[in-house]
Amino acid sequence: MTDRPWLAHYPAGVEHELVALPFSTLPELVARACGEYADQIAFTQCMPNGMNGSLTYAQVDELSSAFAAYLREELGLAHGARVAVQMPNCLAYPVVTFGVLKAGCVLVNTNPLYTAREMIHQFSDSGAEVLVIIDMFADRLPEVTKATGISRVVTVRIAEFFPPVIAGIIRLVQKWWNRSLPSIDVEHTPFTEAIRRGREAHSASADYLAGVGADSLAALQYTGGTTGVSKGAMLTHGNLVSNTLQMLQMLGGHIRAGQEVVLTALPLYHIFAFTVNLIGFFHMGARNILVPSPRPPSNLKRAFENYRITWTTGVNTLFNALLNERWFVESPPKHLVGSAAGGMALHQSVAERWREVTGTPIVEGYGLTETSPVLTFNPLGGLVKDGTIGIPVPSTDIRCLTESGTEAAVGEPGELVARGPQVMSGYWQRPDETAESIVDGWFRTGDIAERDADGYFTIVDRKKDMVLVSGFNVFPNEVEEHIAAMPGVLEVGVVGLPDEKTGESVRAYIVPIDPKPTAEQVIAHCRDGLAAYKVPKSVRFVDELPKSPIGKILRRELRAEAVTSATATIETQGRELS
Amino acid sequence: MIAAPLIIATQTVVNEQDVVTPFEQTLLVGLVFVIMFGLGAGLTPRDFRLAIRRPWGLVIGFVTQFGIMPLLAYLLVIGVLFQLPREYALPVAIGALLMGCVPAGTTSNIFTYFSKGNLALSVIMTTNSTLWAILMTPLMLALYGGLIFDADSELQIPVLNIVVTLATLLIPVVAGMILRKYSANIGAVMELLGGFFGLFFIVFLMATWVPRNWALLTSTPWQTYLVAIGLGLFGIAIAYGIARAIKLHPMNARTIGLETGIQNGPLAIAIVLLTFSGSPDIGLILIVPALYSLFIVIVSTVVTFWFRRANTAEEQKIPNLL
Repeated sequence: MTDRPWLAHYPAGVEHELVALPFSTLPELVARACGEYADQIAFTQCMPNGMNGSLTYAQVDELSSAFAAYLREELGLAHGARVAVQMPNCLAYPVVTFGVLKAGCVLVNTNPLYTAREMIHQFSDSGAEVLVIIDMFADRLPEVTKATGISRVVTVRIAEFFPPVIAGIIRLVQKWWNRSLPSIDVEHTPFTEAIRRGREAHSASADYLAGVGADSLAALQYTGGTTGVSKGAMLTHGNLVSNTLQMLQMLGGHIRAGQEVVLTALPLYHIFAFTVNLIGFFHMGARNILVPSPRPPSNLKRAFENYRITWTTGVNTLFNALLNERWFVESPPKHLVGSAAGGMALHQSVAERWREVTGTPIVEGYGLTETSPVLTFNPLGGLVKDGTIGIPVPSTDIRCLTESGTEAAVGEPGELVARGPQVMSGYWQRPDETAESIVDGWFRTGDIAERDADGYFTIVDRKKDMVLVSGFNVFPNEVEEHIAAMPGVLEVGVVGLPDEKTGESVRAYIVPIDPKPTAEQVIAHCRDGLAAYKVPKSVRFVDELPKSPIGKILRRELRAEAVTSATATIETQGRELS
Repeated sequence: MIAAPLIIATQTVVNEQDVVTPFEQTLLVGLVFVIMFGLGAGLTPRDFRLAIRRPWGLVIGFVTQFGIMPLLAYLLVIGVLFQLPREYALPVAIGALLMGCVPAGTTSNIFTYFSKGNLALSVIMTTNSTLWAILMTPLMLALYGGLIFDADSELQIPVLNIVVTLATLLIPVVAGMILRKYSANIGAVMELLGGFFGLFFIVFLMATWVPRNWALLTSTPWQTYLVAIGLGLFGIAIAYGIARAIKLHPMNARTIGLETGIQNGPLAIAIVLLTFSGSPDIGLILIVPALYSLFIVIVSTVVTFWFRRANTAEEQKIPNLL
């Protein structure tokens, strides 16, 4: 079981095992970075029109300590109490999350676009006592606070910590032009007030971290999982610190301490940006450029113009969208060093085009919420294999298991299982599901993968997305990848639909661009490179594909849409286009 | 038909004080400075590189902006305006020619956005034509002015003054660019204010200038209205027609149409105020730029609605690439 053929492909100088952790909790990691880079800018929030605000490492440190004191002293929260945080990328986010962690409390990251129903489920399930929410979405509060144990609401403004005049203009525009500020009908504390009270209550001698160690819970990170019911992955301080260092160790010297400027376009409440951008780059003394919303992609134009971006993280959809923006392609970022892709399969065509346009490497990694998230990535400075998810990070074991539970041979597909210090301690208050997903210390990912002789893994597909056509397995990823390489295809999602003759049949949903292909052309293109049973039986052209908050194409929604009405088209979802 | 305007032209003694008060004058010039500053605050050296690398957008913008519009203004002047007595028509013609020769206005970007056109192309075309204006506007004025005015005529287009005015108005553009480099925040605020004042300018005109000059407006012959309205309307139609004829994407054709027809009205008015200050004819010179600025909003709105309707059937989705 200790066979790790991938170790031969670690770049020179990268230790095979994770080095001893220099600290056991996230607050220690934060404190070290704040001490070392005190006067450097830690976070800059960049609005679509270029308006911005910044915080230095020292400011983040002071403000988050004040917020921690507010939680513990003013609100009287106990160590281990859950605090829900619901906001897009903004300067308040790191202050709040670091504050929660410094208070010894547990962070419950929540998607700000959640409906009241989803919020109620997540807050009840986690037992959250305090909610820190962006004021733009506070209209759902009366319904939510009634149905949950939330006893205190703190409201945050999008332009928190901006220069006062700029913050005022943004607020005026929000209030009178966009009309995006609902009235808040529950008792709440403005964030600035919370910070003020925290400063008053703060005492240097208070130790909120007594009893908090590597095994203590740091975050409940909710994930749909395979069953569809959202459940909280219990990520400990040890999980998150280990994973941060595993990732950085494998990147070697490619992230230069104190020098990087990283574009954070993905939402920080999602585990990918949380660990990689928020914690990883903070640890390295980077300046994080926070973009509240990367959609439409032109929202990123000012960030690229005004800052010397050296790193960016993203998902296939984001990279693809940027490559379809004229301003980006014709004037790519000059200082870019590298890009990291995750969250969903990075299409080979997108990866190649990204390298060609930016002249810098892009590496694809893989991980899940339950694994903090990074399990594998392509080694920068080593052998990069496009289309693969690369090799496991230090101190991580990965195997592919066949249906019978034995290890799959090289090139044979099997369920990917993983073991390492980044694997969660279980699902919050769900012992049955925990027992199902973690077997003998191995976490079952639900992804089908295969390993090559070098130890590189390739995700074939999600187990549940597999389409069974006349008894043959069709993996939507493969069909999508093939169609995406066609001219005139901006995005594609492939799903299986019930079919009387073949059990299931393949359908492709395509967002076309000029020159628009016809359904016949798409099918002809597929016949020309895929086995007959993999060729889509039907093709639908749509304005937009349903996507998760980070831009992952949601096949289950495509499937639901297709199944509920046989003649369904999802053109109504094209509202965000233009 | 000819007799009536003759009476008007001779009877209406229009002077500077009546048409634009010193307060309005200061305010208008100030506004134009803010608008130009806002334009500059939205620009980076990157935009210029882009424009040079993608020359066809530049070429088309250049040809329509400084080819079609001045020619159209000239044709309207000799075909329509010169039906009127020369002592009235000549000063009005200066305003009309100037209106045809100024660069594109920033409001074109707003209408392009609403007509689902190509915003990036619109911004680049506005920028290009504004920068070229320092050379091309005086050149075109000299060319067509030379055709209209005899060398020994009393009324002349002060080309050199116009060059100086244009150069002066480019200062805030450059200042905006520089400032934006040092503070993205101030740049963004100026950009916002510039766009806001662009609209405010027209509202201001309607609210104060129109009622006060009601007598002048009602006594203005239809030929002048035709020139002021036709310049925008025909400009959009001709440029759109050409763009479609050479098989450009409808989205780009819409953009080029609006971009061509929508001129920088506030700039034209500012140029008149700054170069013809003290001239007894300033009221008549101003009339086409003022009427144009008023009616272009209506014309563009109607065209935008038509574009939206006519083109939805043609295309389902607008790609971001040119």
